[in-house]
Amino acid sequence: MNNESVIKSRFEENGKVFETGAPVTGAVSIENAVAVGFGDGSIRFFWPDNDPLEVQAHSGAILSIASSNDGVITGGQDGRFLKISTNAEVEEIYNFGTRWVDNVAAYESMVLCSSGKNVYIWSDENDKPKILEHQSTIGGIAIDQNGRRIAVSCYGGVTLWRLEKNKWKSSKFAWKGSHGKVGFSPDGKYLVTTMQENELHAWRIRDKASFAMSGYPSKVKSFTWAGDNPYLVTAGAKEAICWPFDGKEGPKGRKPLCIASGGQQNATFVESLPGEKAVFAGFRNGMVLLSELSEHPNDVLIQNPTGSEVSNISISPDRSHILVGDSKGQILWSPLWEQ
Amino acid sequence: MENSSSQVPVTVLTGFLGAGKTTLLNRILTEQHGRRYAVIVNEFGEQGIDNDLVVDADEEVFEMNNGCICCTVRGDLIRILGGLMKRADQLDAIIVETTGLADPAPVAQTFFVDQDVADRTKLDAIVTVADAVHLSTQLGEHHEAEEQIAFADVVLLNKIDLVDQSQIIGVKDRIRKINPYTKIIETNRCAAPLDEVLGLNAFSLDRVLEVEPDFLDSDHDHEHDDDVTSVSFVSDTPLDLEKFEKWFGNLLQTHGQNILRSKGILDFKNEKDRYVFQGVHMLMDASPMGPWPEKSIRNSRVVFIGRKLETMNLKEGFESCKSD
Repeated sequence: MNNESVIKSRFEENGKVFETGAPVTGAVSIENAVAVGFGDGSIRFFWPDNDPLEVQAHSGAILSIASSNDGVITGGQDGRFLKISTNAEVEEIYNFGTRWVDNVAAYESMVLCSSGKNVYIWSDENDKPKILEHQSTIGGIAIDQNGRRIAVSCYGGVTLWRLEKNKWKSSKFAWKGSHGKVGFSPDGKYLVTTMQENELHAWRIRDKASFAMSGYPSKVKSFTWAGDNPYLVTAGAKEAICWPFDGKEGPKGRKPLCIASGGQQNATFVESLPGEKAVFAGFRNGMVLLSELSEHPNDVLIQNPTGSEVSNISISPDRSHILVGDSKGQILWSPLWEQ
Repeated sequence: MENSSSQVPVTVLTGFLGAGKTTLLNRILTEQHGRRYAVIVNEFGEQGIDNDLVVDADEEVFEMNNGCICCTVRGDLIRILGGLMKRADQLDAIIVETTGLADPAPVAQTFFVDQDVADRTKLDAIVTVADAVHLSTQLGEHHEAEEQIAFADVVLLNKIDLVDQSQIIGVKDRIRKINPYTKIIETNRCAAPLDEVLGLNAFSLDRVLEVEPDFLDSDHDHEHDDDVTSVSFVSDTPLDLEKFEKWFGNLLQTHGQNILRSKGILDFKNEKDRYVFQGVHMLMDASPMGPWPEKSIRNSRVVFIGRKLETMNLKEGFESCKSD
């Protein structure tokens, strides 16, 4: 929005703006950089002190990105599963041909991806991937904090795979409907999914007790965890909706905190500020706010509306910089603190 | 919020095995059309020539938890259309091939139900390739064949070189009985001009205004209960908005499963604007479409395509919506 009367935020004043022309599809921290995946198949590394480095990796959009021991791993619409080092070396882990590689994840030296209904796992010892089969196309994958459990969401619920005596054993967490992104709570006790309907679903892993978090005006495309409680912070509404996951029952029967209320449109991306009780919320019109996890939060404007949906917010590993990316390919890369 | 020019048109290609879908797809992929298409296929296994993009998919029909019992969507389409919208290059159109036995309803419903799909893409038309030699037999034996004709905006009546003129007339009659609004194009080897197949905008509400079918009388030959048929009604008396909403809402809730498609232009008492609607099963899109043109006849016209229409008291229901 080229409105001259708009007052720039401190972050817009002090930061750099890059117009890449390709939608931002994901981002992840690696070493001291933020690696961003784009809709034209390229990766860009942003460092606090250097100019960004661009690597042409896939043809077609990058669908998923994660960081592994020695580089970022990416899955693309060209059917390739790649590892890309911070000095721009590209290694092909596998080529699925005309099938998209929808999801990727890594834990130490183990890397995995999903293509169609299967998850493929590469670990140190084996060149050949271990294949985990599912009943429908996979919506999301996640690895727990110890690398011992893999959660895979698809139509009808989540399959939780545990590594026992070198074998992956499965257990089903069923809930009717189509499940997208999946994640573990930081303590590993809960599983959470986004759904095709405007809601999230969660299970307590111990007893499979499950509950829905609903009432959203649009699809929930993003969630993260913040604070010590912790809170499950979610996009999909005009505010960032934060569900308390402390206590025995988690958010069951409790009201969520609603923060970052200054956006005029629905939130499309949320990210926590590590080490602080604070959350970034990006909105459909491109606005980004920083808000406190409290009943009466103060909001800080990070980015004015750009006219395009915020598709990623990432914090550099040293917490010195913030990166905001949108669906038209604009990147804001800015120091997070007063100089 | 999104304007229609930023929405990529999606053409759905249906038809029984052997009717000629692959022939049409090959033509789209090989012809010099100067446009950039993405083609979503099942087990096609070939690369696009020219600069087209081929995406492999499995048909995955999902039920929605929205309290609408017949509401199913194509999960793979939601995923793939979402993925295609992340690309940096602009697509001129997307073509979705369905398997021979597919019901077109979940595909159409995906565009009503998923907000992201509806924001970024629009259903352009459902194109059904039919085999002039075998269609009559297939219609008698398979529900899916009837559904594919019932949903079609265009029927490519293929392989006409293999049948004689009387057979062509017979099979066209059969198609019109199921769906009087579809455009029938007679072809050999699917050799229809691509601009009669793609870019039709058939699902846009203002296209409903252009549809002037031959209104059928309802007392055609008795058909088997499970046959798909169509009925239409006209009223020169303005309708009562409240009465219509009540009747129509109730009708879709009770009989939505058997009503495959519905369309209409409505003249409500004390309303300046024309109202237009179109629906797929229980889902409906409706909107005022500006004032009636000065020289046009103001009346209400509705049409239903479906099964067991005779059990729904459609004529009485429609008549009861007339204003006093």
